[in-house]
Amino acid sequence: MKNEAIKDLLFKMADDALIIGHRNSEWTGIGPMLEEDLAFSSMAQDKIGHAQALYNILHDTFGEADANTLAFKREEKNFKCCQFVEQPIGEYDFSIVRQFLFDHAELIRYDMLSQSSFLQLAQLAKKVKGEIKYHVMHADTFVKQLGKGTEESKARMQSSLNYTWHFALGIFEKSELENDLIFENIFDGEEELKNRWLEKVTSIIEASGLKVPATDESKIVYGGRKGFHSEYLKPLLDEMCEVVRSDEVTAEW
Amino acid sequence: MYGSTNLSEEDAKRMNTTVEDSDKLEAFESRIARGEKIEPSDWMPVEYRKQLIRMIEQHAHSEIVGALPEGTWITRAPNFRRKLALIAKVQDEIGHGQLLYSAAETLGKTREEMMNDLLSGKSKYSNVFNYPANTWADIAVIGFLVDGAAIVNQTINSKGSYGPYCRALERICYEESFHLKQGHDNVVYLATGTKHQRAILQDAINRWYRPLLHFFGPPDKMSAHSEKLMKWKVKLASNDDMRNQFLDMYVPKIWELDIAFPDPNLKKNSDGIWEFSDPDWDEFKRVINGGGPCNAERIAVRKFAEEAGRWVRQALMNPSEKYQIPLA
Amino acid sequence: MSSLDPRVNRLDFKKLADGNTHTNSHLITWEVFHQEKRGKQVVHVGIVHASTPEMALILAKEQYARRGKTTNLWVAKTSDVYTFNTEDEDIFETTPEKTFRDPAFYKVRDRIEKFQNKNKVAL
Ligand SMILES: [Fe+2]
Ligand SMILES: [Fe+2]
Repeated sequence: MKNEAIKDLLFKMADDALIIGHRNSEWTGIGPMLEEDLAFSSMAQDKIGHAQALYNILHDTFGEADANTLAFKREEKNFKCCQFVEQPIGEYDFSIVRQFLFDHAELIRYDMLSQSSFLQLAQLAKKVKGEIKYHVMHADTFVKQLGKGTEESKARMQSSLNYTWHFALGIFEKSELENDLIFENIFDGEEELKNRWLEKVTSIIEASGLKVPATDESKIVYGGRKGFHSEYLKPLLDEMCEVVRSDEVTAEW
Repeated sequence: MYGSTNLSEEDAKRMNTTVEDSDKLEAFESRIARGEKIEPSDWMPVEYRKQLIRMIEQHAHSEIVGALPEGTWITRAPNFRRKLALIAKVQDEIGHGQLLYSAAETLGKTREEMMNDLLSGKSKYSNVFNYPANTWADIAVIGFLVDGAAIVNQTINSKGSYGPYCRALERICYEESFHLKQGHDNVVYLATGTKHQRAILQDAINRWYRPLLHFFGPPDKMSAHSEKLMKWKVKLASNDDMRNQFLDMYVPKIWELDIAFPDPNLKKNSDGIWEFSDPDWDEFKRVINGGGPCNAERIAVRKFAEEAGRWVRQALMNPSEKYQIPLA
Repeated sequence: MSSLDPRVNRLDFKKLADGNTHTNSHLITWEVFHQEKRGKQVVHVGIVHASTPEMALILAKEQYARRGKTTNLWVAKTSDVYTFNTEDEDIFETTPEKTFRDPAFYKVRDRIEKFQNKNKVAL
């Protein structure tokens, strides 16, 4: 039971990182300024690296398939990412707000996990702490400046915040196995994470001259953690494995 | 021909007629002859500045437009290793653009002016990026051979006379060696793989062969020369010399994999000079003037990026801050 | 536009209004300085375009510190950095001749030996 719970946690974290990494990599070459292309691209590499590291734990510790198979040959219904990360990159305001909301959750999640009794995860959390801290610094800087920029930028940031809010709350969709994790001091749970996140993002949103959207529980976009995904995940997964599928006999690319 | 040093007729004429202060010109030229670099705040001939801006700007455009054909396969790269390498490689190209635009800015043209000239078609970029990346094997061939060609050009240019350009190229050449390695690695995996992998590699080589020959620009006998640009170390090697160097370095590396080039006449003569069939220089001209398979898309995507990002840049602008030319 | 690039096919080209890119949205530049290790000098490495020092640092990190080791970055607004005119390079010209500033300039061994020989100093 405990192992199932850890696997569930690892899969959702890995899948989140893999998919948002792919989304952010789409900015390479088309960002609002060259310097920002570079930043988004690095963060995409970091996220995809985190996914790989998490799949490696699944492989090494729990006998799952290797990282490439898990990432590029798994069926959609077995993915546990939240629907938030699946959404297309949209315009820059959507992408930066998503990064802001998602990475604050990541930073707190990894911070909690750095104390985990599951050592592989605690070690990984300590190792990538700096990367995620940078992602958050990057997002905060842009949110603050765009939130206080022109009339257009303020309006865009507010409307993206409103649009993404219920997606973002979907990050914290609870798993039935979660109590095992809390009981074993592996992870403090999504509820605790959500509360800490809410406090943090609220203070930054307000400091940026923006309004925290009102939460309507019925509108929170759940499902991803249980394998129910938006219309955008399947096409992306197909894209990701297009080359692999083009030659099934091929072992090596 | 990343940043082209081929002159138009008018340019070539003006090069020889612009009158400069003779004392300053002499000091400038003897500095270059001594092997010293020119720095941004030095006096320099009007034409030197103009040709350098043109060349560095084209080089910068080539980097950021070059990110587009390769970007085509970012989401489809088949495994972690290839995906991370490709994203990092394309990221480097954007970084090269950033470094080169910065070097050109020290000569007095803003990045925004350069972007506008790219989008209006006034300023060119390397022709090679007007061709499509049809399959995953194109990524291997671009990474190995297009980057290989670029390295020949950039290594030579890094010996030039303008300090900021040389500094940028030094860093760029360092990163290019990673591009080359990962490109070669990718080519070797395909060439030593399955029938399908070898077939897509051969197909990609067939399509990229001519654009690669075009890369260094028209044959010396067809292009306008400038002794001055050579003397000023803006141009350091002839198109034919660079092309020959490229063929010498890379053709054997493809042949050793039992992959062919689509040219029965491709061979190295006893004098060390490579021979090849006429790669159709009319096509080269047609593509450079907008008639290539991807010219329209490349510009449309760059335009999209600039326009879609405008509100961001405007929101960040502080109107009380006055832009000043960067120092180095 | 139908592209070979799935990313490009997802872009909403219709949303773009005017096709005009002359926008006067050119950010100022910041000179970037890089320190590789604690104890080492901080060295100029290039520039970034940015609006504030915070943003300049954030953006400089990925352009100038994405490989190798870095301990810190510094940024300064280009307009806040002062330099000599290159025409005044001659003020440095005779500096290398001023060997009295160099440790290697001071050589007394010969003199000592001569003195010892002359005075038959026992060692
Ligand atoms: Fe490059
Ligand atoms: Fe390259």
